[in-house]
Amino acid sequence: MKVTITLRDRGNPLIPVEAEMVTPDVFLSGEGIIVGVGNRHVSLSDIADVHIEGTASSVGEVDIEIRGDSSRFKRVGEMMTGGSITIEGDIGMHCGNFMSGGSIEIMGSADGWLGREMKGGEIICHGDAGDYCGSGYRGGRKGMRGGSIEVVGSVGDFACEHIAGGEVIIRGNTGDYPCAEMKGGTVMILGDCSRVCANMSAGTCYVYGYADEMIPTFERIDCLERDGLRLHHFRGDVANRGHGDLYVARYGYLS
Amino acid sequence: MGMGEILLKNAWVIDPISGINGEMMDIAMDGGRIVEDVSEKAEVIDAQGFLTLPGGIDSHTHTSGTKVNFGRYMSPEDMRAGRAPKKGAMHVTSGYSVPTTYGNSYKYSALGYTSLVEGAMAPLEARHTHEEFAFTPLQDSFANVLFDGNWGMLGAIEEGDIKRAAAIIAWTLSAVKGFAVKLTNPGGTEAWGFGKNVSCINQTMPRFDITPTEIIRSAIEANEILHLPHSVHLHCNNLGTPGNYTCTLGTFDIVPDLNDKRQTLYATHVQFHSYGGSGWSDFCSKSEPIARKVNMRPQIVIDMGQVMFGRTTTMTADGPMEFNLYRLHHDKWSNHDVELETGSGIIPVNYRKKNLVNSIMWAIGLELALLVESPWQCLLTTDNPNGAPFVKYPEIIALLMSKKYRDAEFATVHQDTGKRVPLPAIDRELTWHDIAVMTRAGQARALGITGVGKGYLLPGAEADIAVYPIRVDDIDPAQQYEEIIKGFSQTEYTIKRGRVVSRRGDALIHGENTTFWVKPNVPPEYDMTHDERFKQHFERYYSVRMSNYPVQEEYLHRNYCITTETDL
Repeated sequence: MKVTITLRDRGNPLIPVEAEMVTPDVFLSGEGIIVGVGNRHVSLSDIADVHIEGTASSVGEVDIEIRGDSSRFKRVGEMMTGGSITIEGDIGMHCGNFMSGGSIEIMGSADGWLGREMKGGEIICHGDAGDYCGSGYRGGRKGMRGGSIEVVGSVGDFACEHIAGGEVIIRGNTGDYPCAEMKGGTVMILGDCSRVCANMSAGTCYVYGYADEMIPTFERIDCLERDGLRLHHFRGDVANRGHGDLYVARYGYLS
Repeated sequence: MGMGEILLKNAWVIDPISGINGEMMDIAMDGGRIVEDVSEKAEVIDAQGFLTLPGGIDSHTHTSGTKVNFGRYMSPEDMRAGRAPKKGAMHVTSGYSVPTTYGNSYKYSALGYTSLVEGAMAPLEARHTHEEFAFTPLQDSFANVLFDGNWGMLGAIEEGDIKRAAAIIAWTLSAVKGFAVKLTNPGGTEAWGFGKNVSCINQTMPRFDITPTEIIRSAIEANEILHLPHSVHLHCNNLGTPGNYTCTLGTFDIVPDLNDKRQTLYATHVQFHSYGGSGWSDFCSKSEPIARKVNMRPQIVIDMGQVMFGRTTTMTADGPMEFNLYRLHHDKWSNHDVELETGSGIIPVNYRKKNLVNSIMWAIGLELALLVESPWQCLLTTDNPNGAPFVKYPEIIALLMSKKYRDAEFATVHQDTGKRVPLPAIDRELTWHDIAVMTRAGQARALGITGVGKGYLLPGAEADIAVYPIRVDDIDPAQQYEEIIKGFSQTEYTIKRGRVVSRRGDALIHGENTTFWVKPNVPPEYDMTHDERFKQHFERYYSVRMSNYPVQEEYLHRNYCITTETDL
């Protein structure tokens, strides 16, 4: 089943749309798709042209393509278990919340909370991602638990906060506090970052760029070669009795 | 909206205070009160022979105030549960163990509760509590006022001047629009301000040369001098520590019998105070000696403080105890000091069946309710939300009424629990009448609020009524425990002050509650407003001026002042 959703121009494009029903699972079930626009609930077809081609017998056979201005569409792909979603432009907050299977490809950039608390599947974002990419939600104790996220651009602050499993690759830079409270999983940051892995207890993080304002409560173990780079191996966060592994190419402390 | 005439027909009533135990009756209401008769114009509600009880009263819960609100701030994840959109007269709600005020109010109302006692209000932070009361519109509210670390009162006790202590209590209660005297870990909470605690009732506290024994005894005497409706409401020392039952027994031993209308001491969440063992490895239940002591001493009423499995948030004025819990769980922790008065601590917890200590705690609460012979002496609470959120009450009722359900649940808890608790050997199954006592009549009598029309259904009483979709003659509670849970989870009608406020789980109107507060009439020489020493103490130590401290009566919405004549 190939679903093409072409969003029409909206009177006020800044009003967020709660689109948690836009997932392969719901299209497979044939349920009517309701979205929240501001404080109103409307059918998806009221704000978009929805074109469905073919049929599907399992969720894996459902491919969704979203065209038009989706930068305020929130929670697309929430709880999805399979199939694929391709987004031609930017996508709003909470894309791929709790997803456990399937794939999401974003040609533009993603807003905050990309892949929050995801359990499986994969997300590729060709642009930048906002704050809290792959993290847990407010007050939550576990972020991403499985699956993978790749961001080709840069991400905002608190990337992978509370991450407990899965793999994340960030090809650009990160903001402040990536991998704070990390509990598991693997994160690779190919660019620069600051205050990485604060209070981590387990897991593995690589920084191939420059790690600014390193947290002083990490124990330096040794050096090793990886991907043609010489990496410093740290263990910590000692302040949290942690035993996570942090590998950084270059680093500096707050002076 | 007027409170017109209503006739509730075919109600199968249990009203322990009035001596009614299962009678088919019609109840007439007019102007918010129960009356002898109504005219033919009255609105008729058919109760269809369903179980009809006076409105539920929770004599110890934490639903309003700074502590509860801090629980909300620090657990945004709790707000993921219990979310409901606006519906009719109902506001948007969210939260499970620390829901929004409306969330609390609607859920309590669906369970048939019409009055709530906030278990611990710090006097300095009273305004916040009253603000939340105003937004808990479907239940009348009462505030227990914390005196455990009140420097004015402790100073008077140190001087041996009980009358002065009573005068300070009187002034503070009416200044903050409180209802009763609450002591939380007396001596210990104040010691925590210096990084210390007290081990039990006979250890002298830092700064004041007195022991918890003296604080408890003096507060009890002062409470009776002031003729307050409720007795001293005590959270004993040493909450949650293995072996603390000896301390609890010692505390119960020092309580005199001073009041012939009600108990002299209300000991709250006693489950947390009935632990044996010398550490966590030999932790066990000591519910038997505690219950035996309560059975021998009619001057004591306790509440269960039942623990139920699942996530919740613990919050108490007992700062040192929360620090110990924090060291066990290593999760989020809040610690707070209220200048010259008290303190508090909050941490989220998850009680798990896989955990032996949690399983034993679960058993102890039930044992207390089953081993205390008189239901008037052991009331049903979870110390909401400390032991569990109050939405678990229907399950607790079913556990108490059905041995079969208890055995089925017992089979699912930690396998070693049986060696540490007497629960499997207890065959008692509580009756409908016992449950009616433990959820409303007992509370009304223990709080001393039958005089204002609470807890019974005779003419003159407030028209607070809960109709549960249960036909008592059609079910056997010992076998059909699922019916009990279902029946008590959602009333057919909850009537508050003569209006149907909740029907089948949905709140129907916005409602308007009443805050009850106490004002002892003290003679001029004991009026602290004009006492030079008290004023100097206030201006020297408090960060607020004495004139700004009292909560103005206008600050409360609808309120009712209970005045008492004192022996000062």
